[in-house]
Amino acid sequence: MSAVLHLEGVFKHFGGIVVADDITLEIERGQILGLIGPNGAGKTSLFNIVTGVVPADAGDIRVNGVSIAGKGIHERARMGIARTWQNMRLFRTMTVLENMVVAPREYAGESMVRLCFRPGAVRRADEQACEQALAILERMQLERLADNAVTDLPYGQQKLVGLARALMNDGPCLLLDEPMAGVEGHAYETMKAVVRQEAQAGRAVCVVEHNISFIKDLCTSAVFMSAGRILERGQIADLLASKTLAELYFGT
Amino acid sequence: MEYVYSILILVGIYVVLASSFNLIIGTAGLVSIAHPIFFALGAYTSGLLAIHFGLNPIAGTLAGAAVAGVFSLMISLPSLRVSGDYLLITSIGFQLGLLQVIKNLELTGSQGGLSNIPTPIAGPERGWIFSLVALAAGAATVLLIRWIVRGPYGRAISAMRDDELAFVALGRDATRIKIVIFAVGSALAGIAGGIYAFYFQYLSPEQFEILASGTMLTMVVVGGMGSTWGPVVGAVLLLALPQAITFLRLPLSYMAPLQGMIFTLLVILFLFLRPQGLVAPEAPAPLRHKKQ
Repeated sequence: MSAVLHLEGVFKHFGGIVVADDITLEIERGQILGLIGPNGAGKTSLFNIVTGVVPADAGDIRVNGVSIAGKGIHERARMGIARTWQNMRLFRTMTVLENMVVAPREYAGESMVRLCFRPGAVRRADEQACEQALAILERMQLERLADNAVTDLPYGQQKLVGLARALMNDGPCLLLDEPMAGVEGHAYETMKAVVRQEAQAGRAVCVVEHNISFIKDLCTSAVFMSAGRILERGQIADLLASKTLAELYFGT
Repeated sequence: MEYVYSILILVGIYVVLASSFNLIIGTAGLVSIAHPIFFALGAYTSGLLAIHFGLNPIAGTLAGAAVAGVFSLMISLPSLRVSGDYLLITSIGFQLGLLQVIKNLELTGSQGGLSNIPTPIAGPERGWIFSLVALAAGAATVLLIRWIVRGPYGRAISAMRDDELAFVALGRDATRIKIVIFAVGSALAGIAGGIYAFYFQYLSPEQFEILASGTMLTMVVVGGMGSTWGPVVGAVLLLALPQAITFLRLPLSYMAPLQGMIFTLLVILFLFLRPQGLVAPEAPAPLRHKKQ
């Protein structure tokens, strides 16, 4: 079976700092891959390279076998790469629902031509997006907050909204950047459950996370990055047992 | 009475100009100062078409709008693809450069301006018919912008303004939205130009100088940036203001600098004391759904 997301020999440097050094990895349907490593290892940079925020210097990235090299950020999202951000980047003047309604892979309302000549189709697409958004919020028990301004929500719930917005993109690939940082209690359990459901539904998920118990609970396999390179990869238990990695990670 | 009509017509024209300028700088957050040149493009296009081809005013005004819209792409396509910051620089160059061309081309009447634009209506009805047309154009512009801002397109613009990178990473084409908004705003300025040309029948290049964007900006800032009704309030107030100072009966050499000083002072005062302007921005229409 071929991988959903396939990186091959990806290389990127900023001046003298190499943030991605010959990165090759694959994520398959239903897999949750953990991406771990110390701060500055290049984990978020790798997400930025995959989503097109920063172009790679070399290497190839394929989604379901189709190369996305040279594609813009929005084109990659439309090809089915959804992502969340460590600091959420929610639209702060908008409600929870509005944040999500602009987020499907195709948003009919961004075309002036369609707005003028097919207003009915745009309205139906909007209604459909609303329904989809409410269904996602319901899974997170957030549907009663749909009309609240995102900035009124506590941090943990904002983090969930960040995930909910990304899930509006029904593409095959989901990249989560530190979904658990600052999230506790009920929101923590919800986050875990939803990410697991998404993988079971067939998405290829990649999680950058410092919370090792979250990684242990969710991921079957992981890669360990440091200074832009993949040092080790494999089963999560084996990785955590590795002494050199523990030293690099925890500095002990 | 003709005096009142000419003020009403200017109100209509400036409501179109200020509202469309506000769509560009307030709503979409695109920094440009080239609005006077799109006003000029509309005015000269419809004037020239009427003089040389006898084109009727409605078709002429629409042609002016189309030319302004197409010319806007000459700025927006190259600069917005790189980054929004470049738009300001290219807009200055475009404004200054194209006005020089207008000032030097024989076709556009060079320094002396374009005169003898045929009027579609003569006689005593002329004043009120033109007032009606100009005010209707103003009202239509405000309603069009309100429709854009409150609908799905406005929701996309809000999201883009809040966080452009997050917006693009959802699959939205921010560059295209900016180019479209810039073209729509510029085309509306072209419509204002057409009405101006057919009413005043004379165009002088000086009135489209870069400083004219200062007047429009004052209307936007005083009225309320990003607000639909703000530019209307701003346009009416700032057109009434010079009329008010004429009653002071100062010599003409004092009038223009005084007006400039008052306008500048207003912008500074508003930016410090009431940055949102007189009318607060309008939020997109709330999303209605079953769970409410």
